[in-house]
Amino acid sequence: FQKTPEIYSVELSGTKDVKKTDKGDGKQKYRGLKNKCSNFRKNDQIEEIKEELDLDDHKLSSEELEKRYGTNIITGLSSARAAELLADGPNALHPPKETQRLSMMVAQLCTFYGIDLVLGSGSLLSYVLLIDSSPITQVYLGAVLALVVILTGIFAYYQEAKSTNIMASFSKMIPQQALVIRDAEKKTIPSEQLVVGDIVEIKGGDQIPADIRLLSSQGCKVDNSSLTGESEPQSRSCDFTHDNPLETKNIGFYSTTCLEGTATGMVINTGDRTIIGQIASLASGVGNEKTPIAIEIEHFVHIVAGVAVSIGIIFFIIAVSMKYPVLYSIIFLIGIIVANVPEGLLATVTVTLSLTAKRMAKKNCLVKNLEAVETLGSTSIICSDKTGTLTQNRMTVAHLWFDNQIFMADTSEDHSNQIFDQSSETWASLAKIITLCNRAEFKPGQESIPIMKKTVVGDASETALLKFSEVILGDVMEVRKRNRKVAEIPFNSTNKFQLSIHETDDPNDKRFLMVMKGAPERILEKCSTIMINGQEQPLDQSTAKAFHTAYMELGGLGERVLGFCHLYLPADEFPETYSFDIDTMNFPTSSLCFVGLLSMIDPPRSTVPDAVTKCRSAGIKVIMVTGDHPITAKAIARSVGIISANSETVEDIAKRLNIAVEQVNEWDAKAAVVTGMELKDMSQEQLDELLANHSEIVFARTSPQQKLIIVEGCQRLGAVVAVTGDGVNDSPALKKADIGIAMGIAGSDAAKNAADMVLLDDNFASIVTGVEEGRLIFDNLKKTIAYTLTKNIAELCPFLIYIIVGLPLPIGTITILFIDLGTDIIPSIALAYEKAESDIMNRKPRHKKKDRLVNKPLALYSYLHVGLMQSLGAFVVYFTVYSQEGFRPSTLIGLRLEWEKHSVNDLEDSYGQEWTRYQRQYLEWTGYTAFFIAIMVQQIADLIIRKTRRNSIFQQGLFRNKVIWVGIASQIIIALILSYGLGSITALNFTMLRAQYWFVAVPYAILIWVYDEVRKFFIRLYPGGWWDKNMYY
Amino acid sequence: MRRQHRSRRAPTFPHGYRYRLDDQDEANQNYLADEEEEAEEEARVMGVPNGQGQPTGNTWWQKLQLMNEYLWDPEQRMSLARTGQSWSLILVIYFFFYASLAAVITVCMYTLFLTISTYMPTFTERVKPPGVMIRPFAHSLNFNFNVSEPDTWQHYVISLNGFLQGYNDSLQEEMNVDCPPGQYFIQDGNEDEDKKACQFKRSFLKNCSGLEDPTFGYSTGQPCILLKMNRIVGFRPELGDPVKVSCKVQRGDENDIRSINYYPESASFDLRYYPYYGKLTHVNYTSPLVAMHFTDVVKNQVVPVQCQLKGKGIINDVINDHFVGRVIFTLNIET
Repeated sequence: FQKTPEIYSVELSGTKDVKKTDKGDGKQKYRGLKNKCSNFRKNDQIEEIKEELDLDDHKLSSEELEKRYGTNIITGLSSARAAELLADGPNALHPPKETQRLSMMVAQLCTFYGIDLVLGSGSLLSYVLLIDSSPITQVYLGAVLALVVILTGIFAYYQEAKSTNIMASFSKMIPQQALVIRDAEKKTIPSEQLVVGDIVEIKGGDQIPADIRLLSSQGCKVDNSSLTGESEPQSRSCDFTHDNPLETKNIGFYSTTCLEGTATGMVINTGDRTIIGQIASLASGVGNEKTPIAIEIEHFVHIVAGVAVSIGIIFFIIAVSMKYPVLYSIIFLIGIIVANVPEGLLATVTVTLSLTAKRMAKKNCLVKNLEAVETLGSTSIICSDKTGTLTQNRMTVAHLWFDNQIFMADTSEDHSNQIFDQSSETWASLAKIITLCNRAEFKPGQESIPIMKKTVVGDASETALLKFSEVILGDVMEVRKRNRKVAEIPFNSTNKFQLSIHETDDPNDKRFLMVMKGAPERILEKCSTIMINGQEQPLDQSTAKAFHTAYMELGGLGERVLGFCHLYLPADEFPETYSFDIDTMNFPTSSLCFVGLLSMIDPPRSTVPDAVTKCRSAGIKVIMVTGDHPITAKAIARSVGIISANSETVEDIAKRLNIAVEQVNEWDAKAAVVTGMELKDMSQEQLDELLANHSEIVFARTSPQQKLIIVEGCQRLGAVVAVTGDGVNDSPALKKADIGIAMGIAGSDAAKNAADMVLLDDNFASIVTGVEEGRLIFDNLKKTIAYTLTKNIAELCPFLIYIIVGLPLPIGTITILFIDLGTDIIPSIALAYEKAESDIMNRKPRHKKKDRLVNKPLALYSYLHVGLMQSLGAFVVYFTVYSQEGFRPSTLIGLRLEWEKHSVNDLEDSYGQEWTRYQRQYLEWTGYTAFFIAIMVQQIADLIIRKTRRNSIFQQGLFRNKVIWVGIASQIIIALILSYGLGSITALNFTMLRAQYWFVAVPYAILIWVYDEVRKFFIRLYPGGWWDKNMYY
Repeated sequence: MRRQHRSRRAPTFPHGYRYRLDDQDEANQNYLADEEEEAEEEARVMGVPNGQGQPTGNTWWQKLQLMNEYLWDPEQRMSLARTGQSWSLILVIYFFFYASLAAVITVCMYTLFLTISTYMPTFTERVKPPGVMIRPFAHSLNFNFNVSEPDTWQHYVISLNGFLQGYNDSLQEEMNVDCPPGQYFIQDGNEDEDKKACQFKRSFLKNCSGLEDPTFGYSTGQPCILLKMNRIVGFRPELGDPVKVSCKVQRGDENDIRSINYYPESASFDLRYYPYYGKLTHVNYTSPLVAMHFTDVVKNQVVPVQCQLKGKGIINDVINDHFVGRVIFTLNIET
């Protein structure tokens, strides 16, 4: 019982860590509280799991088992009993609940609308209390606000749900079938219907349908990698070999695969009660961190709410001191707060994120959780798997050694150019051995598929050799046909070699050819000669030394080395009719001729080194976490650049300086290779130090559980951590990570469930494109928010002026909603299509606390610069309209009270004309429309200036982003429709506006553009200067 | 305190991708409306080295202190994370920025007024067709009074008397000219020249002038109500067809009002009062009136009355506007 406590103690201490970091980092206010509540539940859960893991089924004899589960090994359960047991629940994992995570950001923004709604109804109430003669408008307002809240809420939910649905359809599995004995009959049933006590049969290739105790086994091997991380196949028998249920050989686990052989077993746990099920449910218990974008949105909400409430209160006080009735003042307060709420933002942000999610899906990053789109962009550490993610996940011939020379083979994805010298006789012999001493075959019916993509029956090394020879020599099967195989000894772990005897394809040569491959040292033992340049030479000290040097060198590269030798059996001793007996070995297996060495590796994907370089220039630390051997891990890390060419580990330094490892100053080494064993002995502080002080780290021989420790370590450093994983055991780490990335091809469902993102092609390079998109979206969201915030001032100022100066209201609430949810929506989404201003992959990841989405310069510049200019422009249009219609500004000041009296129907204007209330009302709406148009026109300029934050628009290209122009067109068209199409619908408060008023604000739009160009010019001129610090957002 | 924390944490992790986020620049690390959050963060950071969480009261106190430090940091002589120099610089910049904005606006408004005449409104389509108002008017269009209780109608009389002061015959004769009826009183010339106004004497209203019956008929249950058409610059009724006033019961029995006398008897606004040239030049312009004398109205009952203008260029059936070309009021005369 050694391994089990480890797994769960990780989790236990993990919880503690969470609590600590809570107080430490204090990223969120409420998490501590939440954790305290959930800890009870979680601890219970863990206790429960621990109890259940006191599994002793593996210790029992089959009779005892039969008794315990009320079943019979020969006849199985009765159908009736099975049906009864099935009532406990089907044999399937419950998908973890996603809803809570789904809405974190949405909830943030919804709070906003909540305020909106409450205030809306509040204002309605106040108006009712005031017995205003036209509560109808207020009913409208309330209804419109409610509608806005509901619609945008539904819309955001729909957007989120859509992306989750992609996932749902994606993860839908083909129902598994299980062969079960019931009522003494073999039946095939969906594995969901299995119950405890069922007797199931499994064979090679099957997924084990539940946790089973093996009752009989014939050469059964299972792949437990998804559970324990051991990548080697494990044999399974019915013997009890270990106290720990995870270690003992007589238990097979749900969702692992049986690689070969057959076995019969009794189901001892089903569904969520299986080990895998428990781990998966544990994963859902790991606290969900708020995503960085949710934190940013929260921060943004705080800022806007702060501004709104403080302005609201200031003006409440002003209104009261101006002797407005308190009730009116409250209404003003409400109005100010409502004007500050960016109603369109929820829709915009969700659409923007889902657009990026779509774009990323095209690049093979399937985003499950919309917010994760941005998280990837702020990632500062990527903990990546090796196999399959960094590498191609297939053995490939990397080096050859013959004629005392090492040759390099092409390991790229298509093996296109094998450039080593193929003229030597030795190569011809070696090629023959490679071709013949190989049991792997292509599956039939793949003629049209390129060689490297063909499916092969056989193990990884043989596959590599088959493909290698197929690429170089052409049709391997044809060669094999010509050299008929007469006898064969397959590879096994005791012999450590594989041997076969063939007829030769030379009709004149009646000799048999014996070919052999295996562990180099074992092969060399059997040889007495070595082939150099096609000539057999005796194997002397010097050639043996050359062999060892080559072997060590290739081994040092982390490659799997195989030796090859052959022997032509003399025709007189072994005539054509000779019958070879592989059991008695009636043929020589020594004094062979050594031909060469060949080494294989799972080579890195060709796109990965580039991607790693990109990560490095983007300031992202890539940490490799693998279960593989340190040497292999280091070799791959070197070849992809995770350990860069000129950096050394402690061991390297020791070797170079020829001193003991202990003497080396640990901090001199940039790189570090840490094994799981070392990691186990480290304290938390040591791990933190390690992570902080080495820029290039490889963790080798780690168990998936240790991944969680590593992730937590990184998070303690304040990093945003992305983790890749495929196994079930990775799921806690995937959950714990800021962004969990599951492998689409190799990944288990549990991993995909726990992850925020699924890499469809399992390729590390796709993560980097994801990072790029994520960073771009952060920049573009900044622009979108700046754009959205700007007009808030232009919407707010009228109200303030209305209160203080007593002008007729320049713009109404409904009109404001038409800007927020009408004209401004498409343009703000269009900013999501903006290209990056500079190479975003050349800067450091943003700092969680310092590079905020909405920072002070952004808010100040939007509110106090552009926003104010916009308001002024809009007021000029307002005054133009009123003046030309008869009310000059001097008359307007303080006119509010008289203006709004319904009983006054002969109000005098500046020319002595008298207006009825409705005529004034209509003029007021004309004013609304004019103000609306003015804001719209200036928002076009705002949209254009927001395209860049630093570069000139002309550097960025005015027409590169076509969607911006679609946005501008949409603004104009919506405004035209509202003004001219719906002009007669008074409910919307729009009127037909004279054509010339559309152009009054144009000079201000140009002014805004020019001002912003000047701002950007000074930022570029004095980078880092005062202006840059205060004006760059 | 905080600087120490920052710098201690700094080397452990690459942060801030720009020089501007340099640690030394404390000023830049505080964000708008962020004081509280910052303070909280700091408080928690501070909590770490001590290991155990601190009692909440303590952290609140710390928050308060940090907040205080943010507002005024005596060590660095900074307020709101800016030094005095920084504050003065930013204020100067904003001052110039807003000053130039103000200048731009002034220039714009000035040019705007250069293009707008002070004598004639640029457009009058919003104020046309003319609206109608009645006098006396006291916030309500419901005339409820008891003939036998002068208190209930006295304020109407006062209101009418006040309103008609400007129509006193002596005043009109002194200020205005007597111009020929039945035709426009057109005064050509520059728009900035003062225009003469036609007399509308109080005596034109006969029984409703308040000259013979100082109670305007309210004491006898025969109230006078004056109707006035809203002034619109340049408005001219159709030649030879002056705008007429006619009143009837709006809803209900037609016979609730058995007779109405109109003064002037034509019940119309004479053409000589048009066009209006605006209050700047047409200083003494007196709006023409039509008085309705409800001589026989059903008593002790609410009678809704609608008075409409009739004539070319007059619209009196706008659904949303009950004061364009018509006015609706109720009479409830108790005896």
